[in-house]
Amino acid sequence: MSVQEEVDGTPLPPGWSAPAHQPGAFELPTTTFRERAERTMARPFARTAIAGATDHAAELTWLKFEGVDHDGLRDQAKQIRAHAIANLPDYLEQWIDNAEANGTIVHFAADEVEARRIIAEICVDEQIASVVKSKSMASEEVSLNSALEGAGVDVFETDLGEFVVQAMGDRPGHVIAPILHRTKDEVHALFSEMAGRELPNEAEALTAFARAGLRHAFLTADGGISGGNFLIAETGEVMLVTNEGNGRLTTAAPRVHIALVGIEKVIPRRRDLPVLLPLLTGHGTGQQITTYVTITGGPRRGAEPDGPERTHVVLLDAGRSALLGGEFEEALHCIRCGACQNVCPVYRQVGGHAYGWVYGGPIGAVLTPLFRGQEEGGEVAQATTLCGACDDICPVRIPLHDLLLGLRRQRAEQAQTPRREQLAFAAWGAVWSRPRLYRASTVVGGAALRVLARGDAVSTRLPGLRRWTDGRDLLLRRGRG
Amino acid sequence: MTDRASFLAAIRATPRGEDPGLPDRIQAPDAPTELRAGESPVERLVAETELVSAEPHRVARASVGEYVAELLRASGSTEVALTEDLAAQLVPIRTACEAVGVHADDYRVVATDRARASRLHATVTGCAAAVAATGSIVTTAAGAGRAGALIAPLHICVVEETQIVDGLHALFDGEALAGAGSLLALQSGPSRSADIEKVLILGVHGPGVVHLVIVGD
Amino acid sequence: MDTGEVIADHVGVPTVVLFPTCLGDVVARQTVADAAQVLARLGFAVRHPRGATCCGQPAFNSGHDVPARAVARATLHALDDGSVDPILVPSGSCTSMVRLHWRELFHKTDDAEAALRIARRVRELSSFLAEQSSAIAALQPRLTARVAYHDSCHMLRELRIREEPRAVLATIEGVELVELAGGERCCGFGGTFSVRYPEVSVAMADAKLQELEPAGIDLLVSADPGCLMQLGGRLSREGSPVRAVHLATVLAEAIA
Ligand code: SF4
Repeated sequence: MSVQEEVDGTPLPPGWSAPAHQPGAFELPTTTFRERAERTMARPFARTAIAGATDHAAELTWLKFEGVDHDGLRDQAKQIRAHAIANLPDYLEQWIDNAEANGTIVHFAADEVEARRIIAEICVDEQIASVVKSKSMASEEVSLNSALEGAGVDVFETDLGEFVVQAMGDRPGHVIAPILHRTKDEVHALFSEMAGRELPNEAEALTAFARAGLRHAFLTADGGISGGNFLIAETGEVMLVTNEGNGRLTTAAPRVHIALVGIEKVIPRRRDLPVLLPLLTGHGTGQQITTYVTITGGPRRGAEPDGPERTHVVLLDAGRSALLGGEFEEALHCIRCGACQNVCPVYRQVGGHAYGWVYGGPIGAVLTPLFRGQEEGGEVAQATTLCGACDDICPVRIPLHDLLLGLRRQRAEQAQTPRREQLAFAAWGAVWSRPRLYRASTVVGGAALRVLARGDAVSTRLPGLRRWTDGRDLLLRRGRG
Repeated sequence: MTDRASFLAAIRATPRGEDPGLPDRIQAPDAPTELRAGESPVERLVAETELVSAEPHRVARASVGEYVAELLRASGSTEVALTEDLAAQLVPIRTACEAVGVHADDYRVVATDRARASRLHATVTGCAAAVAATGSIVTTAAGAGRAGALIAPLHICVVEETQIVDGLHALFDGEALAGAGSLLALQSGPSRSADIEKVLILGVHGPGVVHLVIVGD
Repeated sequence: MDTGEVIADHVGVPTVVLFPTCLGDVVARQTVADAAQVLARLGFAVRHPRGATCCGQPAFNSGHDVPARAVARATLHALDDGSVDPILVPSGSCTSMVRLHWRELFHKTDDAEAALRIARRVRELSSFLAEQSSAIAALQPRLTARVAYHDSCHMLRELRIREEPRAVLATIEGVELVELAGGERCCGFGGTFSVRYPEVSVAMADAKLQELEPAGIDLLVSADPGCLMQLGGRLSREGSPVRAVHLATVLAEAIA
């Protein structure tokens, strides 16, 4: 499985081949948030890096919108997204008509299984032996890489961070910055092993190593696979933002371009971009605009000097339409900027993997139960303090706090919460709804705590208190201080 | 396999949420990607170009060819491609390049040979527009091709002052994008990544060096 | 979120109701006593509502609306005493529950109207005290300390109360208020979150507390017993000399 040799006369970097991806099932059903969180928290570098990077990104975002009407922009963006989602079938139909008129071949994937099958079949039909991929969270959702490998297609993730993720058999740790949780040393060890020699341990040299190999991949791949940030209904176009340029090359160099895009990404017009684009990039990376914004409408036309022979777009539903018109519809307004992750005090400690599926942070805590169901994904909606920082930064004003509360309510109503928890709250309700019993419980409870206390502090690791007192004293404020 | 009709029917069968309508464009609020009142578009373009780590040059029309050829020569570029959106500047640039020993071919010819395209040292393109408030060059598939602006390590873009638009609203409201073809693209400075421990690296998959040659009279 | 509702101007009304909340009844009794003392020194007659228990937030935030409503109803009835006296709550989070979320909780129930009535009367303590700044200043409060203020999330982002507690601190002579970089970041308490995910919760507290020593802080002040239980409990476990105290306590000490 080697990249086609020597396309441009310079030797390939030794050791270069399509990294073997270890697909592995998502961890969601088999582990708890607490267990997954602990794994990241056990790695001091990851914690510091995640905290540092998210703080920095959030600060850049606030700076970027200083002195302009940030809230006015957010209002407009929210309105555009709400309008698009409220009229989703119409805009989708308009987009499909225009895309087909541009020569795009449009496919319809009702779920992840179908998405995988469609793309695998396109690869067979188009005789695609290798693909370059530009970062796409939708493709993570459907575990596309493992499907492609299953179909015998070599896959190269071309975003530098995603490439590392793929080569390590890892999963991306952040929507925008996939290897936020990895050190330079780890990348150095990985690349040196691939190269079969010790590479300089410098970001520049490591990037150059990846670039050289990926350049070959770009020039030899038969197919390019990307996601899409927006689908523009009035023109039938797909918009992509990247900083490295890999998104553009994915749509430019290979013979066939395939985009996998969630149906909720549709927006009415190009003219909506002046509102949405600065919010997306300003909240994603704190940039005025990303280095590359690419808007493609179908394959190469007539006299154009380059571009793919064929363009396929696979529209992905996979749980999205089920949210339309319901309590959680606003989750579909998300433009995947990652800002809510950057301000989330929980994400800051645990990183993206703790959420067990594709998306982390507040939006992950919302989308995971919605897309995977309460039984499998409901727990992560509990893993927030409802501090509301995400509501304040979301560029399309998604009420994440309310959605999280709604999901917790749904989980309790579906009796998906542990039996212990249900019983505990029922008992609590029975006692504390009666003032006399309440009084008695506070007197008895208070007395019990006073017995356990040394001074004002209870630090006994009693069974019922353990989860509190393992890390903290329980202070009884009897005196001042 | 789900077909168009059943796919859309399933979506149409869902209840409809509240529709607030589209916002009024007239009331577009300020954004970082628009000009502030009284700002000069050219000056803002120059400033933003620097902020995104590209190099702005203001050059008189008559000397564009020589200026570009000198940039290429000074960077040691010998294999260069020129795109068709250079329009009236195409011939002067090619002539000036030959004069200093820089081999300049049509991008259209080079693009058919991938091996050759990937050996290019530089590309020189025109543009469909430049966005002052973001420091962006706007290229189209019809003009610079899809990859014309980012296939080589060095990109020089020739911008006519008359092509400068204020901000994103002006770009998407205006006529600059008519006839773009199958792709339109904004690029703002060199390709970059900060994936490895947040260290900023220029020139990942696209060019590491970008020059804007702004042409006025 | 509606936080802009006009609240009747209660300044000068001599009687106030002080709702201790469950944390005030169980672990933060001194906070309630201090609040009562400060209010008394400011010339208010202070009543404790008979039969008030808890605002229902622990269950509400966990999605268990039925027990949440049952408990909140007991408190609602206790607070709905036919008077228009302001109800002061020494907790930003409970205030937010009563002012903003009870409407949801009691929506379409027999208690919907009473819930609105109470929502209008309820006040977060520090914002009430901020209106008494000149009366407080007349008591010549004095306390020498380098102080960091921790914003309670619900108070800051739901009630939008940010400046008021700082203004109260500013009336105390000798208090040097230091703004920390992560001052507005959540302390990791989150009610049941703190026992569901103790390790994450403690790590979040540590992220805040690590800023204290370099800044030379003596006192960490907040207006939410939940945050204080979390931050104070961690400081105590780590043997830190920094005290985490409620604004009411600081004020009580300063005018003692
Ligand atoms: S929920 Fe809002 S802040 Fe979070 S990723 Fe989506 S758009 Fe961005």
